[in-house]
Amino acid sequence: MPDKPIPDDDPIVSKSLAPHYVVAVIILMGTLFWALWDEDFGQRPWKSFQHEWKDRYSVFLKTARSQSSASQKDVEAAAEYQAVKLSFEQANQMAAPRSKEINEKLRALNGKILALQNVFTDRRAYVNASTYDIETETSNSAKQSKQRDLDAYKQEVTTVEYPDGSKQKYNFPQLEETYNALRNERTQLSAELGEIIKPVNAQKEKLDAYVSEHMVNLTASQLAGLQDKTEAWEPKIVQINVPEANIVDRCESCHMGVREPVKLTAAAMSLKGKKPDEYARAFTSHPEPDLLKTHDPDKFGCSPCHQGNGRATTSVEKAHGNYEHWLWPLFPRGNIEAGCQTCHAADMVLVSNDVGWTLSDGKDLFRQRGCVGCHRYEGYDKEPEDLLSIAQQIKLIEQEKKDNLKQANYLMKQADTAESNEEANRMNDRAVALKVTNSKLDLRVVQLDRTTKSLLQDMKKVGPNLKDIRLKLNRNWIPVWLKKPSAFRATTKMPDFRFSDEQIQAISAYIWQSALTDPLPKHKPGSAAHGKELVESRGCLACHSIGEGEQVQGGTFAANLTRVGEKDNYDYLVRWVHNARERTRPYCPIEKKDIGPEDYKRKGLPYVFDLDHSKCPNDGHELQVQNMTVMPSLRLSPQDAEDVASYLVTLKKQEPSAYPDAAFMDDPKLKEEGKKWIRHFGCAGCHELSGFEDEGRIGTELTTEGSKPIERLDFALLTETAQRGGKEPITDPDDLARLPEGPAKQPWYDHKGFFEHKLAEPNIWDQGKIKPEEEKLRMPNLHLTKEQVRALTTFLMGSQESALPITYQYKPLDYRRDIQEGWWVVRKYNCMGCHQLIPGQKTSLMALARYQEAQEQLPPKLLTEGARVNPEWLLSFLANPSLSDTDTNRNGIRPYLQVRMPTFSFSENELGKLVRFFQALSAQPFPYIPEQRPPLTAKETDMARSLFSSTAAPCLKCHATGDPAHDKTATAPNFLQAKGRLKPDWVERWIIDPQAISPGTSMPSGLFKRENNLWIFSGPTPASFNGYDKDHTKLLVEYIFQLTPEEQRRVSASMGRARAASGGSSSGVRTAGGSAQRAPE
Amino acid sequence: MKTNQSRAIRRLAVLLGVLLLVGCGKKETAEEQPAAPSPAAAPASAPIDPATAASVSGTVKFDGAAPKPAKIDMSQDPSCAGGNTAENVVVNGDHLENVFVYVKEGLGNRTFDVPKDAVTLTQSGCRYRPHVLGVMTGQTITIVNGDPTTHNIHPTPKDNREWNESQAPQAPPLEKTFAREEILLPVKCNQHPWMRMFVNVVKNPFYAVSGPDGKFEIKGLPPGDYTIAFVHEKLGEQDQKVTLAAKDSKTVDVTFKSGT
Repeated sequence: MPDKPIPDDDPIVSKSLAPHYVVAVIILMGTLFWALWDEDFGQRPWKSFQHEWKDRYSVFLKTARSQSSASQKDVEAAAEYQAVKLSFEQANQMAAPRSKEINEKLRALNGKILALQNVFTDRRAYVNASTYDIETETSNSAKQSKQRDLDAYKQEVTTVEYPDGSKQKYNFPQLEETYNALRNERTQLSAELGEIIKPVNAQKEKLDAYVSEHMVNLTASQLAGLQDKTEAWEPKIVQINVPEANIVDRCESCHMGVREPVKLTAAAMSLKGKKPDEYARAFTSHPEPDLLKTHDPDKFGCSPCHQGNGRATTSVEKAHGNYEHWLWPLFPRGNIEAGCQTCHAADMVLVSNDVGWTLSDGKDLFRQRGCVGCHRYEGYDKEPEDLLSIAQQIKLIEQEKKDNLKQANYLMKQADTAESNEEANRMNDRAVALKVTNSKLDLRVVQLDRTTKSLLQDMKKVGPNLKDIRLKLNRNWIPVWLKKPSAFRATTKMPDFRFSDEQIQAISAYIWQSALTDPLPKHKPGSAAHGKELVESRGCLACHSIGEGEQVQGGTFAANLTRVGEKDNYDYLVRWVHNARERTRPYCPIEKKDIGPEDYKRKGLPYVFDLDHSKCPNDGHELQVQNMTVMPSLRLSPQDAEDVASYLVTLKKQEPSAYPDAAFMDDPKLKEEGKKWIRHFGCAGCHELSGFEDEGRIGTELTTEGSKPIERLDFALLTETAQRGGKEPITDPDDLARLPEGPAKQPWYDHKGFFEHKLAEPNIWDQGKIKPEEEKLRMPNLHLTKEQVRALTTFLMGSQESALPITYQYKPLDYRRDIQEGWWVVRKYNCMGCHQLIPGQKTSLMALARYQEAQEQLPPKLLTEGARVNPEWLLSFLANPSLSDTDTNRNGIRPYLQVRMPTFSFSENELGKLVRFFQALSAQPFPYIPEQRPPLTAKETDMARSLFSSTAAPCLKCHATGDPAHDKTATAPNFLQAKGRLKPDWVERWIIDPQAISPGTSMPSGLFKRENNLWIFSGPTPASFNGYDKDHTKLLVEYIFQLTPEEQRRVSASMGRARAASGGSSSGVRTAGGSAQRAPE
Repeated sequence: MKTNQSRAIRRLAVLLGVLLLVGCGKKETAEEQPAAPSPAAAPASAPIDPATAASVSGTVKFDGAAPKPAKIDMSQDPSCAGGNTAENVVVNGDHLENVFVYVKEGLGNRTFDVPKDAVTLTQSGCRYRPHVLGVMTGQTITIVNGDPTTHNIHPTPKDNREWNESQAPQAPPLEKTFAREEILLPVKCNQHPWMRMFVNVVKNPFYAVSGPDGKFEIKGLPPGDYTIAFVHEKLGEQDQKVTLAAKDSKTVDVTFKSGT
């Protein structure tokens, strides 16, 4: 082989591959390190969380101190604390001189007010009582003479002795004026004081927060244990695994502090002197430890409530489910309660101490605002479905009965020819059993019939009965209203439908022409002034409001009455106020028509229909005899109803005649067109309407709307916009203001975004589309507030088909079910407008000015009602709160209250639910079996009487006695009602510490004291008590339960009540009404 | 969907068929057992020839001191008047009344037509009359209330169906039957606790009740060997065997002793 010359540029010699190798090695090494890093950290971001946790928690535990005085000093010694303390002291010094001055003024003022108050309240009570007397007086001359007496009384001059020794003479108006002036002054001073010490308080708060953040509810050894545990922590996945529910939640791999036994705030977990960062926020303890107690994380995990991808560990986004491949992202903070709905769909009120829950508000709104009118939702407004299912059941039972009878006859025939007597007897027995079965079935049908009646009674409509509009409304007002209801009444439940003028004309023509024209009884005008007083005092404002904007007063449950006078007919209003349930004609659901006098006449029956006469004259079936409204009857006298109506018609901004003439409503040509649109818009969902009684719901079912895949929520042309975010499609400023999170900045292509936008502007998905009228989105604008949209969105987001086992659903079968069912009734009738059922819950009445100075005039709190009253009594009371068949224009149990417990005409079904609810809420056994109570001996009776009439506990001073003069100023029920009404155990608890049962009650605590394991009367007791070794409380309770009217009269007379009640004296507080006490005979 | 449905129906039909078969099978075995000695399907016996018919008669006597009839207090209902002594043992001299006499055995498989005529049970003076009644299975009993007060007729049978019906004064008669043989079926009236009688339901027409003179007679029996039973509500039952030739007319007397 010839040698080839070596080329000059031999690549082996001249070229090096080293750079390539270096690059390759670098890449390889890089990949290796990246892989190692990724393996250890990249795929395990929770590790850095855990390292960070370990550091920060150790620091926290080191600075934390056990809660004891010594450790508090320790905490306070810290430099940081000292700095805060310094600024507190500075602020305090700044404010000190002026606040001292004001405090002194206030003290003097309080003394004056007290002195004045003693005289004034006494005289005011007399004036009120007399005014009431005059109002209820029927004869005109007596009225006038009483008025003269009252005027004279008002001019009488009384002397007020101030604490500084000075005396002043005032007549009643002066007294009132001075009193109010002094109180105003006090209010102003208090407000000023508040302003002055505001910065001081702010500093103080900081100071306290510092201490509480550094003090934990643990012993020193527990604290040390925690420190050791934290220091020994090795990073690892922390997971909850519940195989039967398919829950695998690794959330605690990062959220390490959730279940720690100390309260961890983001501030406490921040690095020293830094703002809370991602880590600090992740390490906080669960904000609702009580919720965790009832929902043990080891059973419930995290994701069933919060959603998100509990299995994911590779990134925060993935774990929180905020990526496109995960259908159920973490519920956002503002809608966090949506998670509750997944298991608590059957609850109207989530838990019995829930106040201000967003989700509960959403549930309530869904019902009260009439969403149920168009959208089916499991459990809501279920009466129509229940009625159908009962009709079906009755049919099945009738068939079963027929079959049984046939079978029995066959068996008897067989028995008669059977070979042996045993055989015969066996068949006869079976035949007998079948006959008994039929009797049971008969009784079942009777029950079902009663349930039908209950359901017809329970079935309510959100809106008024439009069959009555010819009787009720100013015709010309209707089209104006339909144009935009919220323009006439901003808070109305009636939504804005975006009707065109043609639609309005057609719809109003239909409802007008299809309405009933029966004559209404004519009423003479009443006294508007008295009517106003009644509206304000009888409790109308627990549900209704009056006034607009800033001036609005009263509840939000029912209509605002400010412009009622522009639209309602006086005669109809009288009927409505007197008994809103009174129908013009009963409706027969079988014949599907309104039954009139002619139907009754044909059968020779009087035209009478009410709850006791509810059978159809034609077919014998149950009729709808009531208006389907929740408005109760206040049992007003016919005159009072006239007065109230007279007042209501004065409420107007313009004259009814100012509305433009709407003669087209009588045009028969428009009727058919109107019918079409009424069906199209589903008006019958909320209103009773001729020809639409059986109309179904027009909207989509929402029971599991929250679990619809996002693709099935039609964002229409806005899909792209929603996915990208950044541009808010809603431009109407009113609608924009309804968005809970304000105009969209982030992408909002999710359930929350869909619901919020839909609720804020229901026709938003029509944007950019050209559609015929019939195809446009029908959902009306409910003119909701931001908070309401948030509440409803939360409710809808939580409306999911749960993947959890059925046992996770909160559907208890014990007493808790009674509580669950009861809340639906309680919210349905707005019991909480008047009554406090949950400590801290505000009633509509509490906010009214008239009760600020007269708390004892508020309806009773029902915090322990089930433990207080005998359920049978409660049943009779709820059925008829006047507790009388003849004297109904009053309260049965608290006649002294101006505010009236109305008659709700509850069905048997709802009565039962309410009674069981109250019993269950107080954990009382049901049925209630009263204890046998031994009678008191004569000596014990004497002793008990001395307690009952003691000057230290003058029971009859406040409790009603049945003496009308006395009862006008009474503030508590009559003892004679105790026996049938109350439970003795409760009464004993009550007289020991009423404030603990009904905070703020007029009944004082401290009447008894605990001595030697006995409850001893706090006041002086006669010698007969020497050596008595039983509870004085029990003695008194027995006495009250055995009290007879004669005994009460005797005691009352001996205490001189009759004199005190005449109100003639002006001796300040009548403490010792029983100074004339003598030994009872 | 359709095929599913039809399949389900077919399956149901098959199931029903099987059940039917099982049911029938059971019935057959049940019927077979008692039927073994005297098959139910046996042809009805030849009609009784009146020319050869025999009869049995006799007197029922009572031996010993007749118990004193207990007094009944009828004062609770003023419309109840009349005899007020209990009827459980009625003795006239030494003749025992109200003994039910019937052919208990010896008729083999013979079946007899149910008489078209009803027997009547009357309530009068707050008593059932008669006190002892014989009736054939399926024969109608017409129950009449002759009192100015309301009664309730309440049989408490062992092998028949119990019922209890009210009958107001002047109410139309009740018509009732008993389907199965039952001796001494007690009938009471809950409103008048002393009212009590006995219905005797038998499958043949050969029965009688002893009269005040203790006499009874059963006619029209075909020749054969019979067991005649004498049943008294308090004194129990006595059986007598008798052989009857054609046109025989035999006398059978029995004596009940007090305490038996």
